[in-house]
Amino acid sequence: MKHDLAKIPEIIGRYPQQESSLIMVLQDIQKEFNYLPCEALEQTAEALHVPLSKVFSVSTFYNAFSLTKKGDVVVRVCIGTACHIRGARQIQEQLETALKIQAGETTRDEKFTLEVVGCVGACAMAPVVLTNEQYHAQCKVHTVKKLVSKR
Amino acid sequence: MVSLTINGKVVRAEEGEYLLAVIRRMGIDVPALCQHEAVEPYGGCRLCMVEITKDSWDGWKKYVTSCLYPVEQDLIVTTHSDKVNDLRRGILDLFLARNPETPLIQKLAADYGLTRTSYEAIPEPNDCILCSICTRVCDAMGFSAISMVNRGHGKEVAPPLHQAPPDCVGCLACAQACPTNYITYEDVGNRRTIWNKQFELLVCDKTGRPTITKEFADYLIKNREIPEDYFRIDDASHREELADKMGRITRWSVTEEAK
Amino acid sequence: MRIESEKQLRDYRKKLIEADKKLVKKIMVCHGPGCLASGAEKISAEFEKQLKKKRIKGVSIESVKKTGCHSFCEKSPLVAIEPAQVLYTRVQIRDVAEIIEKSVKGDDVIERLVYHDPKTDEAIEKYPDIPFYKHQTRIALRNLGKINACDIDDYIRVGGYDAAVKAVLHMTPDEVIDEVKKANLRGRGGGGFPAGRKWESCRKIEADVRYVVCNGDEGDPGAFMDRAIMEGDPHTVLEGMIIAAYAIGAKDGYIYVREEYPLAVINLQKAIEQAEAIGLLGDNIMGTSFSLRIHINRGAGAFVCGESSALMMSVAGHVGEPRAKYIRSVQKGLYDQPTVLNNVETYSNVPMIISNGADWFTSIGAPKNSGTKAFSLVGKVRHTGLIEVPMGTTLRTIIYDIGGGIQKDRQFKAVQTGGPSGGCLAEQHLDLSVDFDTLTAHGSMMGSGGMIVMDERTCMVDVAKYFLSFLVSESCGKCIPCREGLYQLYKLAIAISEGRGKEEDIARMERLSDHVVVGSLCGLGKSGPNPFLSTVANFRDEYLAHIVDHKCSAGVCKELIKFEVITEKCDGCMACISACAVNAITGKKKQPHIINQELCTKCGACVAACNRDAIAVF
Repeated sequence: MKHDLAKIPEIIGRYPQQESSLIMVLQDIQKEFNYLPCEALEQTAEALHVPLSKVFSVSTFYNAFSLTKKGDVVVRVCIGTACHIRGARQIQEQLETALKIQAGETTRDEKFTLEVVGCVGACAMAPVVLTNEQYHAQCKVHTVKKLVSKR
Repeated sequence: MVSLTINGKVVRAEEGEYLLAVIRRMGIDVPALCQHEAVEPYGGCRLCMVEITKDSWDGWKKYVTSCLYPVEQDLIVTTHSDKVNDLRRGILDLFLARNPETPLIQKLAADYGLTRTSYEAIPEPNDCILCSICTRVCDAMGFSAISMVNRGHGKEVAPPLHQAPPDCVGCLACAQACPTNYITYEDVGNRRTIWNKQFELLVCDKTGRPTITKEFADYLIKNREIPEDYFRIDDASHREELADKMGRITRWSVTEEAK
Repeated sequence: MRIESEKQLRDYRKKLIEADKKLVKKIMVCHGPGCLASGAEKISAEFEKQLKKKRIKGVSIESVKKTGCHSFCEKSPLVAIEPAQVLYTRVQIRDVAEIIEKSVKGDDVIERLVYHDPKTDEAIEKYPDIPFYKHQTRIALRNLGKINACDIDDYIRVGGYDAAVKAVLHMTPDEVIDEVKKANLRGRGGGGFPAGRKWESCRKIEADVRYVVCNGDEGDPGAFMDRAIMEGDPHTVLEGMIIAAYAIGAKDGYIYVREEYPLAVINLQKAIEQAEAIGLLGDNIMGTSFSLRIHINRGAGAFVCGESSALMMSVAGHVGEPRAKYIRSVQKGLYDQPTVLNNVETYSNVPMIISNGADWFTSIGAPKNSGTKAFSLVGKVRHTGLIEVPMGTTLRTIIYDIGGGIQKDRQFKAVQTGGPSGGCLAEQHLDLSVDFDTLTAHGSMMGSGGMIVMDERTCMVDVAKYFLSFLVSESCGKCIPCREGLYQLYKLAIAISEGRGKEEDIARMERLSDHVVVGSLCGLGKSGPNPFLSTVANFRDEYLAHIVDHKCSAGVCKELIKFEVITEKCDGCMACISACAVNAITGKKKQPHIINQELCTKCGACVAACNRDAIAVF
């Protein structure tokens, strides 16, 4: 995927040019590019009149932001309490084995990023895995690797 | 004015003052690692916790950070009760696990009877105690060149993107305020390096000794209306005057002071 | 049209009810969190597609309602046929045509699709007769499953905005506050602080600007009540906030929604636009001088932002670090202005209190704990789902009557409430009344409403380790007891779970916990040791078994367990062999298989793949 950095000013322009817009601007940039490019941090700081150091603090504090490129498919294993006691850790390990990466990493071909997430609020259907926005309910340890088999 | 009792003594304090200031004024030694006179209290190191109660609280006690707790009429404060001492010892034990080789921490821990941590020290420790004084003084200077990044156990002080900070003017406020000398810089001739950023130092017309960085001087001239020739005369009165103007956050240079 | 009087609202509602009567049948397709995860969108689309082609009297595409959580998530996707109150469970696309034919066109019930009692196999057609629903009382969740989530007309039709109109046009702010105070509505976010008192203190402070904020940052893992409300009944949140803003004199309101809940943001945004369009929100609400703008802020993935001062920092665009609250946020909150912060469920209760009065509200629930509480009943319980019960209901009623007991009839071990700040209660606590004070008195807490049931296959050391790991990664890192203390507790818990612990470690952890509880800056740290403290208090033997005997009886802690094939049970189907990712299992067809202990990574895939329960973990 090629990223059009020219889009950054448009995204920043969606919100009032003030500090309280910082998180929302970064969220939209993250959504557009799947990560926060350096240029975006610099332009955001300039436009919102926020020191670059603060933009960096915010982008490293919140889980939603990533400074490195994520894969085309972000696989998120819910490790909320309900999922945990119904075997989310085994699910995570299966996916780690299948993708040959640890949670938090991206495959070399940039197809998959594996993440764990605190809780996605589908606790009754535990354990849950998301591939991008798609939910997969009541995942099974021995079959979950199918979710990442189409490589 | 309000009156309150600290360690059995009745004292008077200004409304809005924080407990720690009053405690220190009485000459009582309460440790506080994230406290710095130039910036607002932070409440991070928790060592300045004290025990408070009131006659009307029916024996109920609270443990509060004195750096952030505003004085109150009839408050009864105990700065070194057994419980408070135990808590400080416990916190210093945790500090020692994070900063096992930091002299300031070792000394403070020794004051509370600890020579080494009872926990496993973290791998690759350094001298940063995460007090955030450096970033807060940098904010107070108006530069905000560095900040706290990441969160939780991975929190650290860093320039943006871990690169030479674009907003840094080499004023040394961070290094001078750092209680553990973790932040280092190097002055060689009329060149200064801090946070991997290089600066040119102005030189005193009379003595030829370096004064402050050109970037810092530009900032002061533009934003604080300090005349240009100010930085070209290196004498004690100038140094003091400038320190005053800067809210005593930063000084000419630490090495100069030391002489 | 703009609504500017009670009569206008009543007349408008009459029209809506008349129009609704023309729909002889309604097909309520649950679009709650569980059903969406099970493909509910495809089901409702299929109903619409098929109904478009068919002509059935009194039924149109309007009959398909995409409702909020119908609550019986275990059986999702759910489809209810109204007004017959028939509930179809685990509905598949292939069932749609039959449902239309038999239950929409006709009045038959498809027995195959209704709930069957797991013990007697008796079919129960109407959902109010199902034990899961029978023991519930719904106030905050009253509209979920009953109306279209994104339709203000549906909300008004069932009585929505009555309370806002009553408060703004016919009550003074003080009267509103008095009513909420009399109702003793306590904060449903977990703290249990009386909302009315909070509103009153905020109103009393002299200021030009005040804010009303809604905490929708449902961070407790294992909880989704607020998600269900924001997605399924967003107008009730707005109505609660309108009433609160009127009472305290706020002109701006903020809803802080967790980033993991994108649909909640969409639905709340739609609801705001709909309410503004008819003058219930925005400038000069109902033609009065009262104005309120509600803004939505998306969280960015930080559990600590559920803490009030951190949340307010985050709304302002900063890092979500809490501050000491020696000066309270009703005095100095968002942008340093007086601020009322309540959570989603608290606001959802407010319209009902204003409409029905404080006496009605206090008649429900337990002493000092009026009303109901919503829970997400999840974990190893047979019937998972979203429930709401009067306060004072016992844990036993919730787990056994509503939840149908433990999955696979295994042994109950513990129930966890209060999220990472709460604790685990054991068998001997099952008859405790579920209310703010009782749970706190027994080492847990109400929390926002996650209720996670654990069975004999759940290891309590692992549960403590799990929560500590969660908190270590979610601590903001500002203060040392939380940042370093929880980290060291976590390290010690790992050592115990791996059989490296020493007996004296338990006492060390208890002492360290005390320092973290007393020393931490905010609630995250102050309550962080609770999961450890409550598990060690109630399940000390399990800790000792790990330390002394190097045994994890639940079969969870990898370093202490072994997987073995039970030769007598194994029929040699080879399912486990293909499931094993490390080729640790060998054997021939129709002959018992063998697990190579050297290679086994204890991932559990073989256990999940085995159809004959022939792999033992011990």
